[in-house]
Amino acid sequence: MDYADTAARISQKVRAKGHEADTVKLEGKLKRLVEEFGVPPAEAERTVMNELSREFSINGLGTAAGEEKNLNQLTTGEWATVEARVVSLTSSPSSAIAQGGILADPSGAIRFVVWAKANAPPLSPGRWYRFESAVVDEYRGAANLKVHSGTVVKEITRDTVLIPEITPLHDLVPGIGSVRAKVVQEWETTHDRMLQSGLLGDETGTIKFVIWKEEGRERLTPGMVYTIYYAVVDEYSGRYSLNLNTATVIQDEGEITVSSGDSSFSGALVHIAPGSGLIKRCPVEGCNRVLSRQNYCPVHEIQPGFLYDLRIKGWLDDGRETKEILVQREMTEQLTGLSLDQARELAENNPLGMDEVFLRVRDRILGRYLTCQGREIDSRMLVNVCQFLPFNPDEIAALLNRAGGSS
Amino acid sequence: MAGSAKGGFPRRDLSFEREPARRAFAGELRESRIHFREGDDEKSPTYVLLPTGERCNRVFLVGTLTEKKKQGEQNLFYRARVVDPTGTFFIMAGSYQPEAMQQIARIEPPAFVAVVGKPNVYETPDGAVLISVRCESVTPVDKDTRDRWVLDCARATLDRIGTLGTTPDGERAQKEYRADPALFLKMVYEALSQLSL
Repeated sequence: MDYADTAARISQKVRAKGHEADTVKLEGKLKRLVEEFGVPPAEAERTVMNELSREFSINGLGTAAGEEKNLNQLTTGEWATVEARVVSLTSSPSSAIAQGGILADPSGAIRFVVWAKANAPPLSPGRWYRFESAVVDEYRGAANLKVHSGTVVKEITRDTVLIPEITPLHDLVPGIGSVRAKVVQEWETTHDRMLQSGLLGDETGTIKFVIWKEEGRERLTPGMVYTIYYAVVDEYSGRYSLNLNTATVIQDEGEITVSSGDSSFSGALVHIAPGSGLIKRCPVEGCNRVLSRQNYCPVHEIQPGFLYDLRIKGWLDDGRETKEILVQREMTEQLTGLSLDQARELAENNPLGMDEVFLRVRDRILGRYLTCQGREIDSRMLVNVCQFLPFNPDEIAALLNRAGGSS
Repeated sequence: MAGSAKGGFPRRDLSFEREPARRAFAGELRESRIHFREGDDEKSPTYVLLPTGERCNRVFLVGTLTEKKKQGEQNLFYRARVVDPTGTFFIMAGSYQPEAMQQIARIEPPAFVAVVGKPNVYETPDGAVLISVRCESVTPVDKDTRDRWVLDCARATLDRIGTLGTTPDGERAQKEYRADPALFLKMVYEALSQLSL
């Protein structure tokens, strides 16, 4: 680790305030902190800086990266100085936290936390502040600004009007997001503290939303369109949800055509997995699990009164990527030309039984080109609509041009 | 079969990704020489590097099965030839590929077939190099599917030629094979021309 750069940076800042610091001495201090005491370099820089500011009684000397930045330039693990407006305050779940909420500037928005130990003046919603030497770290996959005892907070006057950029639901990432969306579903609340949960949708997709019980929070009306500024986008095991407690929610006049969230994929069916074709399902209400050959359900044990079903589990491949697909009965019947009744008859009158149906299904669709539409869950596509992709001679000309054009 | 996760249990193992089946004409695949294993593990995937610059662990091809031959006594296996507009693929299926072997056994050549399998590079004692595809499945299909594949394969080959030298695999292929992209463009052009007849 090279301490010369850091030392030079510190001495430069001190010089700017009219004092001199010995870089060799600074270097020694930094080295000792980092190498002997295992202090992270950024923290060591801050420690040395603070020591000097006390020594020279300089105020606002700040820290290592007291550099002024826009909110969208902040990266995890750095020190920063920002000027931003408090657009939202949330009640803090812990006594260690004095205040929490969302800060915004024209470039973007970020979550923030003021530690109780910071002794910072209470922030008021709607006001602008300058935060000197705050720390950026990561909380639930998104950047978060921490106001600690070393941070200098000053109220400032600004008349900038902030207009947050609306993000399509499909493009949301963990952090803060503003959306315009329609309430497409309302779900039963699963928790005492929950006011409302459900599904929001726009032209690009859908996302789960949650509102927790809090003073002044109101429920959304199903079917209505809302513009939602500064909601928190959370991620739980790969899926996003929108927490509206921080948000400013404005009812909107307009209408939105919500996308079904279906995606589409075309390719060749390169594999049919076991469990395709004719299967037996558990007849216990609400179970519907696939039974083993011995009519055994993993939950309800032996079930001689099973129900038959038809389906295809397989892999569709376009040469670049390959996707697992699950085709339900109706589409399976359409693709294979084999109805559930015919399949059952075949299985009951054939020495190979259900295997015979598997082989028929395989010979009819394996190696064929298909185009499928459906919902993707955990990288598996639940297919709603599926068709064979025919040979289209119109495509030849364009490909011939590509092949002939550059030779 | 590693791809078929059992239903009913939450799937934690999201790291598994099935290797896509690349499309390559016989005329290109037979020119492949470079093969390598990614990682040190015995189960790490092996790849063949196509001269137009893409690694493939698995291929999907459609053509005419013209000949098949049963070989071996204790360890029965089938060899077969599958012809596309640019040349011949050599395919095989042994006792470790029982499904594909049974499928080949039932096919009467000539027949259009769709083949999914893993390409392997063999060197004969006299120094010749052979590419053979070890089959996962060999399914009879119709002419429409064959023609659809020629379009698909032409598009994939043109895409690869377009990015030759710009991807790590593309750079490696350029360095190792020193192939003239014009030859492969010509191959694609001729394959497509046969379709329009």
